[in-house]
Amino acid sequence: MKRRDFVKGLAVATATASTALGQQQSGAQAQNPPPAANAVDQGTMAVPPSAASSPQAISRVQRDAQVRTPNIPVSQPDVVAVTEARYFTPVRFATLVRLCELMMPASDDYPSTIKTGTPEFLDFYIGASPGEQQTMYNTGLDRLNADSMKQCNIPFEKADAKQADALIRPHLKGWMNDHPPVEGHVRFINLAHRDIRTATINSPAWAKAAEALGERTPGVGLYWHPIDSGTQTWVNHGMAQATPTTKQKHS
Amino acid sequence: MAQKKVDVLIIGSGHTGGMAAKILTEKGIACTMLDAGPMLNFEKDRELKPVYELPYRGFDAPGRLPHVFQASEFNANQWVDEKTIPYYHPPDQPYNWVRVRSVGGRSPFWGRQSFRHSDYEFKSKDHDGFGENWPISLKDLLPYYPRVEDIFRVTGHTDGLPQYPDGKFIEDNSPWSGAMQRFVNAGQKHGVPVTKARSSLGKDGMAASINLVIPDAVATGKLTTIPNAIVRQITVDKNTGLADGALFVDRLSHREMVLKARVVIVAAGTLETTRLLMISNICNSSGALGHYLTDQIYGAGIICSVPEARDGKGGRGLMGGGALIPRFRNLETKSNGFLRGYAVNVSCSNGPFGARALPFYGKELDQKLQSYNGSSFSTNIMGETLGHYENHVTVNKQVVDAWGMPTLNIYTKYTSNETNMAKDYIDTMSAMAEAAGFDILVKNYEFNPPGYSIHEQGTARMSDDPKKGVVNQWNQSHDMKNLFITDASVFVSAGWQNPTITMCTLAMRASEYLAEEMRKGNI
Repeated sequence: MKRRDFVKGLAVATATASTALGQQQSGAQAQNPPPAANAVDQGTMAVPPSAASSPQAISRVQRDAQVRTPNIPVSQPDVVAVTEARYFTPVRFATLVRLCELMMPASDDYPSTIKTGTPEFLDFYIGASPGEQQTMYNTGLDRLNADSMKQCNIPFEKADAKQADALIRPHLKGWMNDHPPVEGHVRFINLAHRDIRTATINSPAWAKAAEALGERTPGVGLYWHPIDSGTQTWVNHGMAQATPTTKQKHS
Repeated sequence: MAQKKVDVLIIGSGHTGGMAAKILTEKGIACTMLDAGPMLNFEKDRELKPVYELPYRGFDAPGRLPHVFQASEFNANQWVDEKTIPYYHPPDQPYNWVRVRSVGGRSPFWGRQSFRHSDYEFKSKDHDGFGENWPISLKDLLPYYPRVEDIFRVTGHTDGLPQYPDGKFIEDNSPWSGAMQRFVNAGQKHGVPVTKARSSLGKDGMAASINLVIPDAVATGKLTTIPNAIVRQITVDKNTGLADGALFVDRLSHREMVLKARVVIVAAGTLETTRLLMISNICNSSGALGHYLTDQIYGAGIICSVPEARDGKGGRGLMGGGALIPRFRNLETKSNGFLRGYAVNVSCSNGPFGARALPFYGKELDQKLQSYNGSSFSTNIMGETLGHYENHVTVNKQVVDAWGMPTLNIYTKYTSNETNMAKDYIDTMSAMAEAAGFDILVKNYEFNPPGYSIHEQGTARMSDDPKKGVVNQWNQSHDMKNLFITDASVFVSAGWQNPTITMCTLAMRASEYLAEEMRKGNI
């Protein structure tokens, strides 16, 4: 009795699928449709072998495999939006903005750090960075401001170029990759300088300026996508078992 | 359950695992090679991108790979994630363990420098009394070095220097640029040989196991390659005490699998090999397993500008090229303050000048960069670090990785030997640069943390004496005659040289020995 019902169920499923897909496919293809959702469950993703290897099924898969990505040009969000600064205090952020303006002012051909959104980008980046880097920036910006108040009686954000130069230049030092200066404020000034230059030169606005000048797109490199990244998802969501399943004894 | 057994199991598909696969399969021996990582697909996995399209403008995600100084936002995904497979070092003993987990290991990404070791390395104890001699000498590797150099297509110049043994080269007779010639001349006055670098050309843009040796194994029809197979343990036959296979898990599904093998070759890379042996609790009757971790100091150097090349005055032939200064200290005379020696990578560039070397900012920096463009001259050290017993690794069963495997604790530190070596190097290079008429802008005496060079060696060292070493001169375990280790964990001392060519040479020699032992029925 059960077997007859099972066979009847298959026939219903086949007929139903045929009706559902008949409107979408040609008559020839409708003869071997995939199983309908209400078919008897034969296991997840299982299809009858005859359906899977039928000429129509194979040609449908091959057709799907030939689909090519449409060419839709995309843009970086910086083109239309600004980053909301939220990490640095208002005073520190104002100090950072002034530092950026001084470190990389606009040239005739290339935009300033303000136009490239560098202070906002650094606010975001430092805000997400490990504590050591945050401390360096916070302490460094406070020190700049304190030095300015002490020497010029004005906050750093209001210091003119000459006043600011007296506060920056003594701490500049040439250094080698991986070995920035060690002493606190010297380290901050030189690393902040590097970060300001990097965030500016690597920005969409800078690239746009280079393009307008007819120069090569700056900073083109070989980017590695995540290699077979399924593992990380499993690990993060705790779905993989790090410890082995307890082994049962087999007779 | 049907039992399957393979002839030779090779754990790891990097340079030495690949070499073992090539040699053994070409001798008719079937091999199964497991790699913990996925197969690479260069067309799918990488593409040219402008930096402004990257989410962090080239900085990479904050704090993502704190121990991989070589990481950038472009290449971050090629390195092992430090949270997925963590390790520990004491805060005052930093260690940069730089790892890759994909088929081919680190071999698609290495720096290509290709040197032979000399008897100053193989017989270092005879020379200066420190450490131990290798149980082999240069003579033992002479039948194999040329074959490896052929495979890798090594370019170089025949120099006749005993500390820099000549090889089978694609001869480099290129002339020096003007600035380089000045530096060569200054070296002669200081008794420092400035010679041509030696590098693997490889083939089709790569010098990796996956394009140079594994394809030869594949062509024999006797290699089975299984990616995404993380070996959890090497198993032992209780009756014979020999290795008899491995337990591994699929990287993605964590399905546990059992593999039986007649012979096991461990080629997982120095610290992964040692970690696996320790977890498996094998190959340590000597007590030497995990000890004598060494590498080379990198990172100290000088940055100069060649005045005649500034402001566009350079002209053709003044700038460009590079050189290698092989070890020149502690050969015939004893240096003050340190044992062994160092080599120097020299670079003379007609490209853009690095902004961080110039203490200026704003428009003034822009002007300086324009002026100094094309005038850069710099050096970088590769110095041998001493193999101390105390520089060691242990297994931490309390902290496991994403597949439940105990992780490593790494305890290592450099000593005054390395500090004094770096001082001698900077002082000597500075004197030569000044004699050559260059302006020195930066002198950096500080070297990078241990591990940075990605040349970790030791922890399963070779010795004729089973009480002092983990393997014999054939890379064969003293404790299990059917287990071989082919990576740089077997090195007795680090040398100043990039270890790749010597590792591959040892792997070739060990594999031929193994094949013969199998043919005779001894294994």
